[in-house]
Amino acid sequence: MSEIAAKPAVSAWTRRRLRLSRLVPYVLLQVLIVIACILVLRLVPPDDPDDYAVSEFSLHEDGATRSVTLPHFTASRYSLADPPLYTGAFTWRTSDARTAWSVYLPRFSNAVEVAVNGVVVLDSRRDDVANRPDRNTPQIAVIPSSLLRDGANQITVRLFVWGPLKGFLDTVYVGPDDSLRSAFETRALLFVTVPVVLSAWQSLLAVILAIMWLMRRREPVYGVLALGMLVGAVQAFVPPPVPPAPYPRLAAILLASAPIESALVVVFAVLFFGWRWPRFGLLIFAPGLTILLVGLFASQPLPRIVFLFLGVPTVGVCLMLLAIIVTRAVIKRQDAASFVFGCAVTIVLTCWFHDMLSVFDIIQNDRTFVTRLSYSAMLVAIGAGLTWRFARALNQVDSFAGQLVTRVREAEERLKASFAREEERARAAALANERTRLMRDLHDGLGGQLISIVALSERGNTGATITEAARAALKDLRLVIDSMDDIGGDLMLALGSWRERAAAQLRPHDIALDWRVTSPQGLPLHPELRPWHVIQIIRILDEAVTNAVKHASARHIKATIETLDGGPDGPYGVISIEDNGKGFALADNGEALTAGQAARGLRNMKSRAARCGAALDIGSGSTGTSVRLQLPQRFPDNDAASR
Amino acid sequence: MTDQGETADTITILLVEDDAPTCWRLQDALVKAGYDVRTAGTLGEARNAQNDAAPRVLLTDLRLPDGHGIELIRETRRRFPDTEIMVISALGDEESVISAITVGATGYLLKDAFPTDIATTVRDLVAGHSPISASIARFIVRRTQVTAEPPPGPALNTARLTPREIDILWGIAKGFSYAEIASHLGLSRQTVPGHIKNIYRKLEVHTRSEAVFEAVQQGLIKL
Repeated sequence: MSEIAAKPAVSAWTRRRLRLSRLVPYVLLQVLIVIACILVLRLVPPDDPDDYAVSEFSLHEDGATRSVTLPHFTASRYSLADPPLYTGAFTWRTSDARTAWSVYLPRFSNAVEVAVNGVVVLDSRRDDVANRPDRNTPQIAVIPSSLLRDGANQITVRLFVWGPLKGFLDTVYVGPDDSLRSAFETRALLFVTVPVVLSAWQSLLAVILAIMWLMRRREPVYGVLALGMLVGAVQAFVPPPVPPAPYPRLAAILLASAPIESALVVVFAVLFFGWRWPRFGLLIFAPGLTILLVGLFASQPLPRIVFLFLGVPTVGVCLMLLAIIVTRAVIKRQDAASFVFGCAVTIVLTCWFHDMLSVFDIIQNDRTFVTRLSYSAMLVAIGAGLTWRFARALNQVDSFAGQLVTRVREAEERLKASFAREEERARAAALANERTRLMRDLHDGLGGQLISIVALSERGNTGATITEAARAALKDLRLVIDSMDDIGGDLMLALGSWRERAAAQLRPHDIALDWRVTSPQGLPLHPELRPWHVIQIIRILDEAVTNAVKHASARHIKATIETLDGGPDGPYGVISIEDNGKGFALADNGEALTAGQAARGLRNMKSRAARCGAALDIGSGSTGTSVRLQLPQRFPDNDAASR
Repeated sequence: MTDQGETADTITILLVEDDAPTCWRLQDALVKAGYDVRTAGTLGEARNAQNDAAPRVLLTDLRLPDGHGIELIRETRRRFPDTEIMVISALGDEESVISAITVGATGYLLKDAFPTDIATTVRDLVAGHSPISASIARFIVRRTQVTAEPPPGPALNTARLTPREIDILWGIAKGFSYAEIASHLGLSRQTVPGHIKNIYRKLEVHTRSEAVFEAVQQGLIKL
């Protein structure tokens, strides 16, 4: 479809051809269905026992008497008084007395009162089902044998007619009950039992659809169909009032049911096949409502007349609209649901035409109305359509779930890839940071010391100074390497190495390093501790020791490591270096007064401490110097102070 | 330091170092301490020197012009189990020192160590004390901790170390003295060097078959 849409020049023609190629087979199939329907209606009427037919009657009507042959139509009339009276005769022999005899009327409209030899044996007005003109209810009655006389017997049939339909009396059969009964049973099955079954079906569908609609309010299609089914079911099960009706208003409402029901089915089809609702679409309910109003405010027979001339055509129009909607759906969607629905509509429409031709005497037959019966075809189709749709929805849910799983997997993979990329980038950034820091650290220590070695060598300076500078360079190199090691946040591990180096450094000067750790654990763990923190701390300690050796001429150095309770934020560590040297004087602002290297060293120590978030306290007097480094409870993430 | 003269009389040291100034420096320090020092600049010279007689102490650099000091250590360990072996290292970096330890070396000597320290270290070594630096101890104990990924650096089997030995290593790594470690762990101070010697022995992978055994023990190889 998308390819066709991409070429608009070709599309119109192609689409038309495509539509035609779909329409033609469908229409041909519908024609076949129509032909099949007609054949079924023509060739398979219920078979009646012709041996016992009583066809020759004399009709007494409107004061005149004439002889007629059944089946016979009489004029439509609106009064029940003085109904047409058919009088006929049949022969009974006493030899027939072994079996019961019955009178069987396969079809009449609207009601009959049958009398044998002047005694009434059957009054169909008592039977609610028989009073429905749209059902072809047969009647049978056993003739009490006491009424029968040897030889000719008289049978009279009063035909009650309520307009606007014409009165109709099919051939009357009088004969042994066992010969007539089977024909009666066949008709009763077809025209009484099957409609009841269908109506039961319809009411079930109404319940199911109503539940569907209640659970899925946003799909009014089910609600509409449920309402239509409900109207049909009520119409089928509520007994129609016989004229003179005890509830004329109810009769009117029931008359309106058929057009309203068919209009609802059209609405259902429009919604089901996804059509846009036409602007004057609700007009389709106008005939039904008109009949309802007429029924409510006018007295019979006007509502019935209105029904015949407004309601019945409405049903036909609705069926034709249905046929059009479904045909378009079949062409467009090419799915099983619309196809089955379409065939069903064709069957109902054919039956409706058949009934119309029958009502208006255009074709002569025994006036069997089949629209109601064929309605079953549509019910089956609707049931099939809904089931199909339900199954398809389930499949869609399944495939949607499958797609979702695939999509999620894809997204996961993309995410994983991007995460890996991000990780790679972060790693590269960390590496670059580390490199920068390493460069800075090497520049701070090793670089300067090597340059100083070069300078000293160039001046021809030999001996202690160069050795000292070279040793300092080596020490710094080891410090940088050592600080790169993973110590898992335990500063004590770095201090352990430092102790060894400091002790080695002090040993030639014969200075003792007193190492005191107040708790076995040493210092609190800092998972956030980074190599550059370690380097700064070790350099501070190195500077303190170097100062003690070089400038204070100390003989004894004490390193104390303790952990103090810092309240809710946890404990913090303190590293103190104390010596017994001669100290150096400090100004009030904490800056050393001594010029030169020592002062610069002190400044350096302070700035290094600040970069690690540590507090540095330096106290100096004539009896010694103490450097107290109070570590933070949490080391800062970035080296902000250095930038 | 005071009695080195008496003990060093018969002690022979083979010093393998290709850098002449470094070699002189170490040799001077050791000779001054009274040791009998022979020197070799290459792996081949060292092997020749060992053909005559086994030295009491072998001090070797790892990077030699004609081979790697690790080979020399392994050979010496196999031929002369009584010889004490130590690595001479510029930086004392764990990478080279640990791999030397696994083939039989005991600790390392820094090339720039002060002469007195050099003599003291060798004296302690001969006396049966195995020196261990904080950084090496740190490297070993970090390996005893379980990690998801195999850590970088040389392979090291710490599976046979006892919890007590690991505690001692932790103490050394954190800069505690033997006395402090002994008091923390409730040991006698004299037993700590013995523990350290054991640690060295356990870290040593003697033969190929033992290496396989170790690998199986650690679950590296599935049989």
